[in-house]
Amino acid sequence: MLAAAVPVTAAGARPLATPGVTSTEIKIGSSVPLSGEAAIAGNVARGIDAYFKYVNAKGGVFGRKLKFVYLDDGYDPGRAVNNTIRLVQQEQVFAMFSSLGTSNNLAVRKLLNDAKVPQLYVSSGATTFGRDYKKYPWTIGYIPPYSEEGAVYGQYVVKNIKKPKIAVLYQDDDYGRDLYAGLRRGLGKKAGAIVSKVAYDPTSADVQPQVTQLKASKANVFMIFAFGKFSLQAFNAVSRLGWKPQIFVNDVSSASALMSIVPQNAANGSISIVFGKDPAAPGWRRDKGIRLFQSILRQYGADIGSRDLQDGYYTAGMATAYTLVDTLKKAGKNLTRDGVMRVATHLTEKNNPFVLPGIVIHTTSTSRFPLTQVKLQRWSAKSWHPFGKLLSIKP
Amino acid sequence: MRLKLALEVLGLLALAALIAVMPQLVSSFTAYEMATVGMYFIALLGLSILTGYSGQISLGHGAFMAIGGYTTAVLSVNGVYGHHIRDLWTIPIAGVVAGVAGLLVGIPALRLSGLYLALITFGIAVSFRQIPLKFDHFLGGTSGKVLSLLKTPFGLSATPNNWIYYLTWGIAFVLLVAAWLFVRGKPGRTLKAIRDSEIAAASSGISLARYKTLAFAMSAFYAGVAGSLYAIARGFMNPDVFPIVLSVYLVAALALGGVDSFLGLIVGASAIYVLVNRTADVTQWINHLPAVNLNPQRPGMPDVIFGAVLIVVLIILPTGVGGALRRLFGPLTSRLYSKS
Repeated sequence: MLAAAVPVTAAGARPLATPGVTSTEIKIGSSVPLSGEAAIAGNVARGIDAYFKYVNAKGGVFGRKLKFVYLDDGYDPGRAVNNTIRLVQQEQVFAMFSSLGTSNNLAVRKLLNDAKVPQLYVSSGATTFGRDYKKYPWTIGYIPPYSEEGAVYGQYVVKNIKKPKIAVLYQDDDYGRDLYAGLRRGLGKKAGAIVSKVAYDPTSADVQPQVTQLKASKANVFMIFAFGKFSLQAFNAVSRLGWKPQIFVNDVSSASALMSIVPQNAANGSISIVFGKDPAAPGWRRDKGIRLFQSILRQYGADIGSRDLQDGYYTAGMATAYTLVDTLKKAGKNLTRDGVMRVATHLTEKNNPFVLPGIVIHTTSTSRFPLTQVKLQRWSAKSWHPFGKLLSIKP
Repeated sequence: MRLKLALEVLGLLALAALIAVMPQLVSSFTAYEMATVGMYFIALLGLSILTGYSGQISLGHGAFMAIGGYTTAVLSVNGVYGHHIRDLWTIPIAGVVAGVAGLLVGIPALRLSGLYLALITFGIAVSFRQIPLKFDHFLGGTSGKVLSLLKTPFGLSATPNNWIYYLTWGIAFVLLVAAWLFVRGKPGRTLKAIRDSEIAAASSGISLARYKTLAFAMSAFYAGVAGSLYAIARGFMNPDVFPIVLSVYLVAALALGGVDSFLGLIVGASAIYVLVNRTADVTQWINHLPAVNLNPQRPGMPDVIFGAVLIVVLIILPTGVGGALRRLFGPLTSRLYSKS
């Protein structure tokens, strides 16, 4: 008797249906660059879409199919606002998920939190997305925080490079500034080793002038905290200028797809961090996760060529999508926005097939940085080679 | 003539009634979209006074909208001496600031005309975006300024979307009536005289300087109000909210609607809205045509479609939608006039 009564009251207590959730579908929205300076990262969304289709083919989440609506914002925060308003109000999505870009996510954070729409696993490592949860409880990040990434490079320099003279190119927004601040912290007492730093605006045409200026400081270490085409331009400029510094390139620009098209005399020896499996790296070719990734992409991706099968942005998308599906499953059959936030902030995920073995995706209500374990990796012979132990970079 | 006046007043009243009932007929989000159309409409009204009546072409009106948007953003986020000004009250201030900027641009514009003026104003549109980047601590740079959320004030019961709809179209209606009163009287005739021949106008004793700068200031005021409303509705302002290409869209929309037809401009404003916000949908609609298979994800596709539509419309309707309407109803109304 009692058992039969419980579902009735539960259903009766629910005043309104959750937007974006029906008995057959869960609608998820995202705003990503499919055109413009950062278009290369649009494959994150395409990877997510393919993974959702794969999950749908296997029956979905509690019988509900995942519908992913992603709109192009050209990496422009203004268009991200338009897209987000449209996705929330017109498409009535259940949650916004993995929208890309620091400024783009900052621009919509207030309105999403006011409307109590989950802003899940944003594709930005700006520390504020994990740190400021008291003010913005509906927001959570995903990738390792940029500030900690910067600190890892700083610590590496202190330990391994004698008499470092560091030049920094960084994007003039919270993304670049977080990395730079982290680098200084990682260098600690040796912060004076930074001999020059130049910021660029994300709407600039070319960063070659900035790189020329940095080279003039006679630095022997070059930090590329730049995104998309700017990172490409920085490598090109280094090669053209005949500069031979030890390069560190930030994670979001270190995809093999990008690294393999820049001049290799500049790229070789570059150091970055890694947390996802790289489909282009020879070491993972026989890995189960990467094989799964490639078979999903072949079957469910749109216009997939052989280069796409080696594109780390697709893998990054699938890693996030895996975590979202995991979250939705743990949130249970009776899916609500409250419920999904509770699960997203109490997560322990040990078996994500698309991240490095040993990494546990973990959050608590006061620690909202899902990915806080990384390895260092070095570029040579046209691919990345991870080295050293798994590092914990919890802020 | 009295009948023509009566018809025009009747038309305005019908428009007011339509504006008033519209939110009851459409979804909340559509009301929000229509509010955005209203903002472009306000900017086009101003441009129509400048281009349609005084004959000066401006390719820089996106910059005046941005001035309005930034005025609202700065006053409501930074405040004045820490005193935050409610976004609603920043709208007239934004109009005035943009109007003053328009006046300043209008002064050198006296010496230039036609193509040269268009180039100068385009230069303003292109270079304006550097100002927020230069003063990024104050104006937010590329990351922009996040304003407070769109809220219905004074305890009114409307949803925020309906509120911004009524606010925008209310202002649009007042500015439409103001523009109508302005152009139907002596100032309108004066501007038209300048447009048709500056030499003839000057020899009839018209002060070119006064009227040309006045037209510039007025149209910039309209653009500033539109920009302010846009920033309020989005709750966000950065240099790309009003991109360079918007200035070009505005002139194209003006041609589409009919340069001196105020009501035709609603069509022009809708066209800008679709082009900026609903581009993927347009490609999908066109895909319904037989033997057409376009990829909506392909960048630049919407611009191609807009360009094609513009060319076709201007070939079929050289005076824009407004001109076509006038031709359609012209025989009817002129018969009525002759009887009266």
